[in-house]
Amino acid sequence: MQANAIQSNSDLPPELCAKPLALIGISGLDVINNAVHKSIWDIFSNSRRNEHSPVRFNLIENDHEFPIIKPKRNSYDWYIPKGILKKNWMHKHLHEIPAVMVIFYDLDWNDLQWNEKMIECASRVQSMRAALEGRASRIVIVLIQTTLPLPAGEDALAAERAVALCSSCELNSQSLFVLPHGDHLQGYATRLENAFYEFAQTYYHNEAKIIKSHKEHLNKNTHQYLYVRHQFKLGFLNELKQDIHTAYKHYNHAYENLLEIRIVDTNSLEIRTIAGFLNYKLCRLLFALNLPRDAISQFKSHIDRFRGRIGFQELAFEHYAWLSKQYSVFGDIFDEAVKLGLPAVQTQHPGIYYQQAALQAILRKKACKELCSTVIAYPSPDPLEGANNIEFYGQRPWRPGKMTSEPPDPHLEAMGIQAIQYLEKLVNHSNIIIQLYGLAISQYKTYKCPRTRRQLVLEMADECYDSKDYGKALTLYTHMLWDFRKEKWWGILSQVLEKALICAFLTANVQDYIQLALELLGANTTTSLDDKRRIYENLKKILKKQIPYGDPKLPQDILQNAIIIWQPVFSSNPLHFSLDMANIAACIETRAKFLKNVYEVDQNVTVEIYIRSTCPFPLVFAKISVTINAPNCNSEFAVTNVENIALSFRKDEVKKFVIEFMPDPHDINKEIQIGSINIQLGNSTECSVDLKYSSYDEAFKNHPELVHFRCAPNGIDFDNIRPLSSSTIVPRESKLSISFDHRSPALVGEWYQIVINIVNEEMFGIKDLKIEVVLDEENFESELSLQPSSPCKQPLIVNSPKNLDCNGKNSTHFFVRVHKPCKCNVTVRVTYTLDSQKAVLSIKTEVIPLPVVEPFTVTTKYLSMLMSEIDRFYVDEEFGVMNYIKFSSPWMIHIEDTSLEFVHPGRSAEKSSSSQIAGRSFNNEEISAELHIATCQKSSDQGLNLGKCKISWKRENGITTTTEVAIQGLPCYFMPIGLKLAAPAHGFVRTPMLLKYHLENRSRHLIQLDVVMQATEAFMFSGYKQFVVSILPNSTRTLQYNLYPLIAGSVALPELVISPESNTDNEVQGINKDQLNALIHRSLPTHIYVMPQVKGTPKLPEIVANQKIQIVD
Amino acid sequence: MAVCVAIIGKDNAPKFFACVNPEEELNFQYKVLSSLDIVEEKLNPTVKSSTTDLRELYLGMLYSLETHKIYGYVTNTKIKIIIIVDSTNTALRDNEIKSMFKKIHSEYADVVCNPFYIPGEPITSKSFAMNIESIMS
Repeated sequence: MQANAIQSNSDLPPELCAKPLALIGISGLDVINNAVHKSIWDIFSNSRRNEHSPVRFNLIENDHEFPIIKPKRNSYDWYIPKGILKKNWMHKHLHEIPAVMVIFYDLDWNDLQWNEKMIECASRVQSMRAALEGRASRIVIVLIQTTLPLPAGEDALAAERAVALCSSCELNSQSLFVLPHGDHLQGYATRLENAFYEFAQTYYHNEAKIIKSHKEHLNKNTHQYLYVRHQFKLGFLNELKQDIHTAYKHYNHAYENLLEIRIVDTNSLEIRTIAGFLNYKLCRLLFALNLPRDAISQFKSHIDRFRGRIGFQELAFEHYAWLSKQYSVFGDIFDEAVKLGLPAVQTQHPGIYYQQAALQAILRKKACKELCSTVIAYPSPDPLEGANNIEFYGQRPWRPGKMTSEPPDPHLEAMGIQAIQYLEKLVNHSNIIIQLYGLAISQYKTYKCPRTRRQLVLEMADECYDSKDYGKALTLYTHMLWDFRKEKWWGILSQVLEKALICAFLTANVQDYIQLALELLGANTTTSLDDKRRIYENLKKILKKQIPYGDPKLPQDILQNAIIIWQPVFSSNPLHFSLDMANIAACIETRAKFLKNVYEVDQNVTVEIYIRSTCPFPLVFAKISVTINAPNCNSEFAVTNVENIALSFRKDEVKKFVIEFMPDPHDINKEIQIGSINIQLGNSTECSVDLKYSSYDEAFKNHPELVHFRCAPNGIDFDNIRPLSSSTIVPRESKLSISFDHRSPALVGEWYQIVINIVNEEMFGIKDLKIEVVLDEENFESELSLQPSSPCKQPLIVNSPKNLDCNGKNSTHFFVRVHKPCKCNVTVRVTYTLDSQKAVLSIKTEVIPLPVVEPFTVTTKYLSMLMSEIDRFYVDEEFGVMNYIKFSSPWMIHIEDTSLEFVHPGRSAEKSSSSQIAGRSFNNEEISAELHIATCQKSSDQGLNLGKCKISWKRENGITTTTEVAIQGLPCYFMPIGLKLAAPAHGFVRTPMLLKYHLENRSRHLIQLDVVMQATEAFMFSGYKQFVVSILPNSTRTLQYNLYPLIAGSVALPELVISPESNTDNEVQGINKDQLNALIHRSLPTHIYVMPQVKGTPKLPEIVANQKIQIVD
Repeated sequence: MAVCVAIIGKDNAPKFFACVNPEEELNFQYKVLSSLDIVEEKLNPTVKSSTTDLRELYLGMLYSLETHKIYGYVTNTKIKIIIIVDSTNTALRDNEIKSMFKKIHSEYADVVCNPFYIPGEPITSKSFAMNIESIMS
């Protein structure tokens, strides 16, 4: 309780910090027994509503007693105030004196017992009025009704009874409210609340007016306190009224008035306390008014003014406690404002104030140490008796209400000071400081000040150390090391390391102790040589399982404690630690590298390790090793081939160690890495420490290319060693000679032979020879085989002997077939092992680039029987198929056979056909042609596949290949009439010859045609000149003419004109004149060769014999 | 005039540190470190501030503490120069601070031109230290 009293001197009272809300008293609600009342109360007291007015509801019992009103003072002439601010005043206005008194009463307008209830209600109002006698609190009645009200003016009974009720209660009509208890309670409650709030504002306004009126009675000499008090009260009442502008004005006046009061030792506490209150209110309101700059400057000037006002020297810690509180409270207000949306910046944020608070708390602690160390007992009688019941804020309990003019009783004063000092001694200052640092650190983190934050963490660690929490201090220190190391602030780093080392010593944390010691012994630290020597000796002691010496600056008792903690550490079996040195700038530096990027599998892999000690004293290692990470297994290789003397290092000595090992053949084509470099300190029987270095630490360099300029006095230029931490294992280089025989380019479709010639030029014989052939993966249209018949699957294993002697030769071959012209690569992989003591796997891979070309291309043309090109077929009409083969191979190609194989509807029109180019050879760019006669048996709109052309060919001395080319036909149409002329190859002048026109009806209808044979000068002819010909379905009619040529040469034949019979319906026959003309044009030759007259009597060709024609009349 | 001058490399490692009172050096180092936070923030290109001119190397006052004022300057190669001035020294104007920075900058440029100096390493030149001291006083 006494400690609380001390705290309250600097702490702000809760009533000050509470947000001032207008107080509304509520009576007449029985929340325990009446469910309706409870629901009403819940709605009012539930502040989660959105449009909540700034009011506070207080449930007041019927028999509640309000604070007694003080007698009015008419004159202030003889009044001397005993203090500035009474402790009970704020609480009274916040919680006890309602601005508005609301009386709830259940009463419907049409209640049967209206009169009785009205009287009861009036009596309640009266008793409440009596209780509030002298106060200006507004009394209002709320009638809880179960029936819904009618619109105003329609309910005559209600209007009448309302007037009656008001008059009997002696209230005006505005003080009467009706609350229908039904569906919309929430809405009604909000409206009522707003109404109450307006009443409350009027009330506080009037209260403020009354206080203002006192001002004229005051005089500056005796009533300085009252000036402050009244202005404070005005500010507070305006805050209750939610008029923060006016409130700010009055608080500001109060603050100014306060500053005018002369400060002496006796009142300094009170003035400081009240100044703190006023400053709190001012800053808070300024933030609320969105004037953060003004708030900050107000706070700054406040601190500047009071910083020097320490008051009692004996109680200086009180002053620092108060300053610390001022800062931390301002930090709180600032932080609150930031949370409500105020943007803070890096240079002005709450963290700065928390930091200052922490600094002041440290001063408080120091002052406490200085002043309170002599106090050993709490004085009796208790001078702080009744500290919580004194009337005014900030007064000493042993002389409450004493005016400054009176001289204090020196004995009582001394007792009081002693009591406070005693209590201060009990305070855990470190906790307060650490807490404040914690707040500051989180703020600095938010405002992106990592370095400042780090500094604060260090200060926090110092405080932890001070409070003997060495473990926590050690953790904090070691966590901060990394950043300083990264940014190379060696001075700070050294200091932190030293502190951490002490913490590690005091907590007997061996592992951290060794690590910190190793770093402190390094060249970068600014620690003095003497300290380094001490650290070095301690390190050596630890390695011998002896307790190290503590820092000589440490007090004796702490050293004693530490030694007690150390003892059990070494009592156990051999100690073994493993330290990760990867990110530490320790006194031992390492580099490791492979000598080559690539190692062949039969070579030794060489790793060079360089170790430098920057420790000013000699260091001896027990073991040095390297771990190699390979895909198959991780292995560790130790430095073995050196004497022990080589493992000791003087200052700045660099030594090189070489490790060699054979790579594992399983790691071929894989990467191996240097995992870590391990150095063992101490011996494994007592205490051994494994230092694990990563192979790659370029983090400490920024211009590696410029380090060459630095001089390296002792031979090995350590700084310039480029770590090479990974290397690849490759198969050994083969000395096998491989050549290929083949005749490029390969031709599409042929089995192309490639001969492999292998000559063993190795020093040894080889065994397990295996030759694999693989084609490009994306090339699907190719095949590999050992025989020119069936393809084999990839990879093809070529037949070869298993063993080959030194200088032995071997030939083998394989075949490739590609079905598309392209450029493909054939990969030949020869795998074998050397027949030496060490069986080493060797691989030789050769790639044969292979262009593939077409041997020839086939084009097809279609001809009419008159050898003119056609663009369509007619069903059952013969046509010629002309295949041209264009050869494009650089090698001569021999054609063995060709044939045309028809498929339906194509059909050969030849009785027997044979290849016309078989047995011939062709060179590049040559073209061959073949003609075959065919018909098409079906009509089709598109070109149909008529069949295929098969060509068997080979290179000279090569293997026969058969290429098939599909023959694409032309569209085929139906023509009902077929026409053919059978004529001799040639005629002779004046020798008759026979022409036979075959007209074929392919339809199922009778066809009638007009046929006219036109006369020509070159021929005389006999036969029908003009007549109608009728052709039965599926039959042929032959027209025969005897021609008697008159002229020699290529002579035009008499023209045969066919036209549909004029009497018949053309459409039925499906033929027209144009079609017939086209038919004649493509079927009938126009000319014939006529030879000169043969000498003598030639043998007459077949002609139509004379017929006996009788003319019947 | 100035009580402390610090030159910080682009990776925020100290290159040079000079104090009037060497015993306070560690204390000043912390102050310089804290002010680097502000410098970093000012150099942060994502924080758009209309007032910062990229060609202006002088950053102005970084911190105004109760005892000291800290000023900053950043070269184009992100070398930071920090000057700490006693708060009681009110006679010092902004222009004088600026010219002090300019002088230190040119001294630094001279040091970097020295072929025996390895960029990125702390500056150990004695004549440089002397020149800086004369600029400080």
